[in-house]
Amino acid sequence: MVNNTILKVDKLRTVFQTRHGVIDAINGVSFSISKGETIAIVGESGSGKSVTALSIMKLLESTGQITEGKILYNDLNLAELSDEEIRRIRGKQIAMVFQDPLTCLDPLYTIGDQIVEVLKIHEDLSPADARERVLELLNLVGIPDAGSRMNSYPHELSGGQRQRVMIAIALACRPNVLIADEPTTALDVTVQAQILELLKKLQAEFGTSIILVTHDLGVVAEMADRVIVVYAGTVVEQGEVREIFAKPEHPYTDALIKSIPRAETDRNQPLQIIKGSVPNLHEMPSGCRFHPRCQYATDLCKQEEPAFIDLGNERFSRCWMNDPEKKDHFIDVLQADAVVPAEAEAANAPMEKEKQLLLKVEGLKKHFPIKKGLFSRTVANVKAVDGINFEIFKGETLGLVGESGCGKSTTGRLLLKLLDISEGEVLFDGNNLASYKGNQLKEQRKKMQIVFQDPYSSLNPRMTIEDIIGEPLEIHQIATGREKSIRAGQLLEMVGLSSGDLYKFPHQFSGGQRQRIGIARALATEPELLICDEAVSALDVSVQAQILNLLKKLQKDLGLSYLFISHDLNVVKYIADRICVMYLGKIVEVADSEDLFNHPKHPYSRALISSIPVPDPTLKRDRIILEGDVPNPANPPSGCSFHTRCSFAKEICKTDAPPLKELTIGHNVACHLF
Amino acid sequence: MSLLKYLGQRLVYGFIVLVIMISFVFIVMRLVPGDVVALQLAGAGAVSEEQISQMRAELGLDLPVWTQFVDWMKNAVTGDLGNSLWSKLPVTEMIGERIMITLQLAFMAIVLAIIIAIPAGIYSAMKRNTWIDNTIRVIAIGGLSIPNFWFALLLIIFLSLTFNWIPPLGYQSFLTNPIVNLQQMFLPALVLALSLSASIVRMTRSSLLEVLHADFIRTIRAKGAKEKIVIIKHALRNSLISIVTLIGLQIGFLLGGTVIIESIFSLPGIGSLIFESVTKRDYPVVQATVLVYGALFMLVNLIVDMAYGWIDPRMRPS
Repeated sequence: MVNNTILKVDKLRTVFQTRHGVIDAINGVSFSISKGETIAIVGESGSGKSVTALSIMKLLESTGQITEGKILYNDLNLAELSDEEIRRIRGKQIAMVFQDPLTCLDPLYTIGDQIVEVLKIHEDLSPADARERVLELLNLVGIPDAGSRMNSYPHELSGGQRQRVMIAIALACRPNVLIADEPTTALDVTVQAQILELLKKLQAEFGTSIILVTHDLGVVAEMADRVIVVYAGTVVEQGEVREIFAKPEHPYTDALIKSIPRAETDRNQPLQIIKGSVPNLHEMPSGCRFHPRCQYATDLCKQEEPAFIDLGNERFSRCWMNDPEKKDHFIDVLQADAVVPAEAEAANAPMEKEKQLLLKVEGLKKHFPIKKGLFSRTVANVKAVDGINFEIFKGETLGLVGESGCGKSTTGRLLLKLLDISEGEVLFDGNNLASYKGNQLKEQRKKMQIVFQDPYSSLNPRMTIEDIIGEPLEIHQIATGREKSIRAGQLLEMVGLSSGDLYKFPHQFSGGQRQRIGIARALATEPELLICDEAVSALDVSVQAQILNLLKKLQKDLGLSYLFISHDLNVVKYIADRICVMYLGKIVEVADSEDLFNHPKHPYSRALISSIPVPDPTLKRDRIILEGDVPNPANPPSGCSFHTRCSFAKEICKTDAPPLKELTIGHNVACHLF
Repeated sequence: MSLLKYLGQRLVYGFIVLVIMISFVFIVMRLVPGDVVALQLAGAGAVSEEQISQMRAELGLDLPVWTQFVDWMKNAVTGDLGNSLWSKLPVTEMIGERIMITLQLAFMAIVLAIIIAIPAGIYSAMKRNTWIDNTIRVIAIGGLSIPNFWFALLLIIFLSLTFNWIPPLGYQSFLTNPIVNLQQMFLPALVLALSLSASIVRMTRSSLLEVLHADFIRTIRAKGAKEKIVIIKHALRNSLISIVTLIGLQIGFLLGGTVIIESIFSLPGIGSLIFESVTKRDYPVVQATVLVYGALFMLVNLIVDMAYGWIDPRMRPS
């Protein structure tokens, strides 16, 4: 083990110059990686996981600097190398794959040129040899038709293909270490499965060591041999992957693992949460950095920072509870913990009242015209939503899942008439909204509100919280003046903030708090239906659990109905009563969420569910990996639009689109197999 | 195919714009106070009403404006832009003699501006927030604020008083005497380049800084590329769209600048021609020169739009 170590990071400290002065982005980060091993650096936003990765490559922004510690690569301290020396290492010995393949390739050069570039930097190659190598690499990473594809520009490729190109660039010079910084975060779950599979295959072939930087515990369990958990710029726990998941030592790791909804999570119990949010780097808590959010914190934790305690067998934890000498500090809290788990609020009691229909959608279509030429003639239509039917009952949550471009967000916007409906009916309490205009529409919008994905851009930064929440109250003449303030304060308290926050501005809140404000604004008009469009997707996992619990509680208290749109199937399964699976503008399957997860029928649903990385390293499943990417909605395949990626496709699938059929009560599938 | 179609489309648009522009100039020239007949007869002492109307008839100015316009347009379509009201020479001939001077001047100004501005902009961006960057930025602001005719006069005065040197008199074309020609053209081109390069420096700097923060730049550094490749091959090329757009728009100001600068440096180009003919109310000459300027401006911007496709594959007509 010792001799095999290829890269060793020792007590690394990286600081940034900011307007808050010099701040530590990471401090005291240590770990090592052996040949052919995969380690995962896992943490939430601001934990310093990406800074660690960039520090190794010395790719920090000009304001960042490594001030302490060593990065030993084969006895060479990278931290001390000159720009020219590190340049020879980059791309040749240590390579990197980044998160967003859309923005990480130069848009002006062909992918062939961009792969050749790295070869030319480090090797002396003739043009013919270079071309040969590019072809070989493109074949290796699974890009079909490499000969003509090498002349394509990045914008002509899909997200998954671009990420394959990124991997080809990274592996071109056969590096010993590959750093993958959130390599699949920007990809759809079926494409993520392809890319993870590819990384594993290439690792087996070349014996590359992989440092995987991610926030996704599912991906960690799937890929990693060892795990480094980082929090607020420092490593809090480290160990072998199975041990970490089976018996986390640090309270943060423990809480993080418990806060993610999984397929088997009981929908009727609230998720375990970590209170508060990730601290800002410029206002780091004293002592143990996790203490303000830790349920076991004592005075000792507030005052002194714990050491990185060696638990043997490559296992480390930075918590006083792991220090045998300090154990007596925690007797009280541990006993208290044994009695009641902190949050004992009952979530949604299963309500088996008579179902009352709230919203019925029939044959809903949205076609975006593609215009061309001098007179902007419509030459084709992007069929974003192409004839869908569903119902939402009162007090129910309907989940809408699918990959990017399937039309789920468009559907949400159509219901609110934020977009014009091309065809079909939306019946709310029996009234068709499709024809609503002006005042009628305004009245209707009182009853339906939306919570957006990005809590940063969906609140006007120049308005106070009072004005943000009060705006719908004024528009609908519900309350003005003093009454408005009181009402806004009540709404804030309802979502778990204090009415004292009314006069603050959005930038004074964390992401999770802003999302609470977004929910308060949506609730201001006392709507009956809330459309949550990826409402928790931009949040850290520990905060995501808080918001999901809040949504469940509000639903119970106020009798709300939700349309919950998300690409994260585990989240949808946890929150939704029923789930619609969408593919290319059509609903392919509708079922109760338990039923859908346990007995998915449609080949697409099956693949989708099996693609989710499960945060359990002991589980090795046979995964259905779909070929290729989601087709272009402007030019969907004939017949069943899934037939191009379906391994069960028959002749009829290519010609006839299957209708949605009821298999058992409440379980509908659109597939010729049934 | 589609490129030809695109070009054809642009030419049709361009033609429409030129027609609108020339109609405007045609009418405005006849509305402004001052009259070519009065100017021509100014030195002749006492003139009778009869003489005036006779002259007016000779010049064809007695007809209603719209008739004059239609006649002019008819001839213009066949390539005949009329004769000067003063020298009686065909306008096309007058322009033909002078256009090369203006084109050479504009071309030299653009090239000078690019040679000065792009390296300065790159250097400024790379040395961001150092004294070098600050100095370049202050000079650029200065270049933007100083009117070019004033700078031209200062330059002439400075050179003649300090070095007792003035550009050689009597214009020589580049083909007959390149050395004299360059001596004559360099200063006016430099003056014109000044304000042009000031704005290009600023644009190069800011768009480079923006591109240098893009994710793909990090990818290129992660490949182990030298900083030179990062800056020139990737960052600069990605900044070119905004730089080229700016140059296209600035050509308008540059052409406008030639009018005054040619007069100051006594260069017999179209700029000085337009200057003289406006003061002399030589309608056909004004109309034709404006037409030439308009066509030049549109041609340059067509080239700019073509350049977009060359720079950025995403902007190629599919």
